[in-house]
Amino acid sequence: MTAARFKNSVRAMYAPIASILLTLALGFLLVMAITDDPLQAYRDLLFANFDSLGSFALFLNRATPLTLIALGVIFSFRAGIFNVGGEGQLYAGAIAATVIGVTFAGLPAIVLLPLALMGGILAGAFLGWVPGVLKVRLAVDEVVTTLMLNIIVLLFTSYLSNQVIRDTKSYGAVSEMVPEKIWLPALPGVPGATSGIVVAVLLASATWVVLFRTVWGAQLRASGTNLRFANAVGIPADQRIIVAMLIAGGLGGLAGVLYVLGIGHRFEQNFSPEYGLVGLTCALLARIHPIGALATAIFYAMMINGSAYMQISTDVPRSLVDLLTGLLVLLMTARLATPKTRS
Amino acid sequence: MYLSSFLASVLEQSAPILLAALAAMITLRANILNVAVEGMMLVAAFVAIAVGSATDSAALAFFAAVLASILMSQLLALMTLRFSADFIVAGLGINLLAAGGSLFALEWFYGTPGGLRPITFPDIWHVAPGSLSFIPVIGPAIERQSIILILAFIAIPLSAVFLYRTPTGAYLRAAGEDEHAARAAGVSVVRMKAISLAISGLFAGLAGAQLAMDKLHFFLPEMTSGRGFIGLAATLFGGGHPWVTAAASLLFGFFGALGDRLQAFSLPSQFVLMMPYIAAIVGLTLARWRIHVRNRPARIVVEGSA
Repeated sequence: MTAARFKNSVRAMYAPIASILLTLALGFLLVMAITDDPLQAYRDLLFANFDSLGSFALFLNRATPLTLIALGVIFSFRAGIFNVGGEGQLYAGAIAATVIGVTFAGLPAIVLLPLALMGGILAGAFLGWVPGVLKVRLAVDEVVTTLMLNIIVLLFTSYLSNQVIRDTKSYGAVSEMVPEKIWLPALPGVPGATSGIVVAVLLASATWVVLFRTVWGAQLRASGTNLRFANAVGIPADQRIIVAMLIAGGLGGLAGVLYVLGIGHRFEQNFSPEYGLVGLTCALLARIHPIGALATAIFYAMMINGSAYMQISTDVPRSLVDLLTGLLVLLMTARLATPKTRS
Repeated sequence: MYLSSFLASVLEQSAPILLAALAAMITLRANILNVAVEGMMLVAAFVAIAVGSATDSAALAFFAAVLASILMSQLLALMTLRFSADFIVAGLGINLLAAGGSLFALEWFYGTPGGLRPITFPDIWHVAPGSLSFIPVIGPAIERQSIILILAFIAIPLSAVFLYRTPTGAYLRAAGEDEHAARAAGVSVVRMKAISLAISGLFAGLAGAQLAMDKLHFFLPEMTSGRGFIGLAATLFGGGHPWVTAAASLLFGFFGALGDRLQAFSLPSQFVLMMPYIAAIVGLTLARWRIHVRNRPARIVVEGSA
């Protein structure tokens, strides 16, 4: 039994690892054309994160939002909703936490921190709720609504950070700082690393338990895999799907809150290097499995951060990672065999 | 005079949106939600500037841009149709690949991550000023517009004729509406989808070339700024019908042009820029609402029975 299960999970990891290796191999060919020392470039890309405590902290700070967004994506995909709204949910959470933190800076931390946290989560959840309800009640395509909402939210935060809560003493579209009393403490032993990573790891485990070890999670997955079956056996599928989208948006919002409180300490219009899409990539690479997504998010954080070290030590531009991400996303859902040949 | 200059800027704003919308429309009729229009446009814009500055030939730049976009569309077709990748995921992959690839090329080959601004760039053919001034209002608005803009408007009736008056168009729509029935009737669904993606690449290529070659003559990584998605919104708003889609594109172009003018009145531009996206969500919701109300008594579900 355990051996069979182990065999199954090895088989499940085969395709994602194959697409990662194929992408890295294609990238290596490119790197060989650019630099005389491709091995050095790839070593830095993947492992320079562990050279110093400072780099390790930056790496953890990247992994945190990626993991949370990936978890949100997992909830929605498991409920059968193709939610590509991670970026918008992230921005909504970040801007809501910032607006609350800056506006009510006078409140004591014990009130302000939960307020900012809840505000951010609710803002994200709202962005998940809208496409969820439209999908369930009217069958409006959720890919379209989440894509459009992303752009709407980005424009709205651009307005707020440029015109309303802008720090006039700083350069660029950045908000004023949130008060220091609600900053998250650093991870013990790793100065500069957000303790949000602990939250992310805990939530990844919690997501696994909820989805795979509770009746509610089983009903949610049933609604996602076969809606008619779920309805036929009396599962309130519509309600499960809407709650899944609330959670998905809330997790995206939480990613934004933790970024503001733990890493940026203010809202910056360009703080996300496409965390939404990369988080989606991590979730899909992990075959929408929460523990797997933790692993892929860590892998991606390694690459995104490592690219900066790679650019310093060799001549390879850091945008190599963007290029590789494109290749990976293009490749990762592909199958060598046509579906018909599977028995 | 003011009216025709406003009309000219509406046309200018509409042209890339219209082309992107037609690109999304032609695949939507083959039952593909094409989120990759944005990426194909970006590749075309980049190739147009890169080839134009290297060869100093507007025609070469134009054809290279369109060709590059079609090649991207066929890469998407290969991954999705041959290797059964998911259309949305692979489409987003095309966007990421286009953005990452052009940024990588800028950093590595040109050493200018901010963009590509050639000192000299060949002009593409524009309608000669004064040649149409005998037509009131509309004539002056079309003068000085690029050949690509003219092509964009010719593409509306052409795509309508293609979809509704040619056998290939009928097969393409059949493949989109009911894959199994189409296959049973002997239509090669895979080929129809590949053709629709190729046409989509052609239109997206024109859109990218228009963005880069009409007036600006430079390339920026964020150049397309969501126009591919506005086009997708216009298509969904128009329900995949060429004329309605074109009308929606013009409406969005009108909003864009209006937004430029309204900035003078200190209305935050972000809210004007939001309009197409909000319109798309509201329009789609209303369209679904109508269907929902009509179908409320006794809905028969046939989906998935095959």
